Amino acid sequence: MSHIEEAELALVSLGEVVRPQDAEHLSQCRDCQESLARLSELVEISRSSTVGDQLVSPPDDVWSAVAFELNLSTSSSADHGNSQVVRSLATARSRKRIPVWLGVAAASVGIVAGAALTAAIIEVQGSQESSTQVVARTELAPVANSTSRGTAVVETTEQGPMLHVTVRDLPPIVDGYYEVWMATADAKTMVALGTLNTQSDSSFSLPAGMQMSKFPLVDVSVEHFDGIAGHSAQSVVRGQFSA
Amino acid sequence: MVTVLLHNDFTLSPVWEACSRVWEPLLEHESQVDISARFAAGDENALADAYREWSPLVHTVALRSTGNHGDAAEITQAVFVSAWRGRSGFEPDRAPLPAWLVGITRKRIADHWELKTKELKKMDRVAGDESLREKGLQLDEVIDRVVLSDEMARLGEPQQQIMRLAFFEDLTHVQIASRLGLPLGTVKSHIRRSLERLRMRLEVDNVAY
Repeated sequence: MSHIEEAELALVSLGEVVRPQDAEHLSQCRDCQESLARLSELVEISRSSTVGDQLVSPPDDVWSAVAFELNLSTSSSADHGNSQVVRSLATARSRKRIPVWLGVAAASVGIVAGAALTAAIIEVQGSQESSTQVVARTELAPVANSTSRGTAVVETTEQGPMLHVTVRDLPPIVDGYYEVWMATADAKTMVALGTLNTQSDSSFSLPAGMQMSKFPLVDVSVEHFDGIAGHSAQSVVRGQFSA
Repeated sequence: MVTVLLHNDFTLSPVWEACSRVWEPLLEHESQVDISARFAAGDENALADAYREWSPLVHTVALRSTGNHGDAAEITQAVFVSAWRGRSGFEPDRAPLPAWLVGITRKRIADHWELKTKELKKMDRVAGDESLREKGLQLDEVIDRVVLSDEMARLGEPQQQIMRLAFFEDLTHVQIASRLGLPLGTVKSHIRRSLERLRMRLEVDNVAY
């Protein structure tokens, strides 16, 4: 006696009535019963799917973080379009080894451009009247949900190089403060410069021996009084000095 | 499907052949076989392609298991990092790349729960082992459902529509044929092949790693 056609078993597994000519065979054939059981289980699982099982893409910055962690070359891109640069504070903090925002600069030049980080070197002012010269300037563009903008300027002074940072419209923080950082182009090394004054310009002495060309990124982050010295991965504005 | 092997700019490799031969019914698209082969060969672009193709699968499983967007994003990141670093353990002729990724996802989520349970145990909140076993069972169910959703989404038309009507509207094949204006035999064979494809995907993703 031949087995029941697979197509018929498939229909039965979906709840259709067993054809009379198959009924007797099915009641006796272990193989067909097992095939039917496997299909029925599959149908049951498929029918138990809910809206929540529909596929959801991860946030765009996850790829950047993967690319950064693996130190992939910039040509590999999962190309997820408009990237949200910084993941939530909670997420970033729980992976202490990898400040997530750092992945961005390393992972994709395109993302940097997409975040509208315009940077320009201001011509050295050849003025002899003052020993102070502006050598670099960049706009600081908002990051993630921030709407603040600002500028960063590097000046050479008699006392050494100074970084002046101004950020407008920063929301007040009750349990924390804003911190200014400079970082290498690959964003692997960061230097904390100090607390930002939200009411006026803030000026920081750049450490002697710190080569500007090696630390082109300027970043302002939200920090909390939590004793964690590292970057919180919650940036509000960022910019990059041109090489 | 054998014709895909003759694609112009792809030299036949043992990996490719093995991959196609064994998993050809599941890897409908040439690109998916290609990604697996290039991934095994260590091509960084294949990782980006694999991420584009299967990160929703990984992320959705993580999201459904943890119920937390941050945890899910973190697990997704960890899965692709581990997959790439451990790619020497990936055997394309044993199972296709998505199965390998699901296997890693399963481990990562188990690690996640173990860590959480340890934390909770410290606070005497929960009887750890019991809870872990339960989570494990739930994880299996979540993976099955999400994997099937993923495969459903990859069914072409009219197969996808036919299966939706059969699964979710409980229509018989006769009703489906009349609703879609297709011959009975066509609907019947689409149902058989689609169920077979779903069953195979489920088995592959479950036993492979």
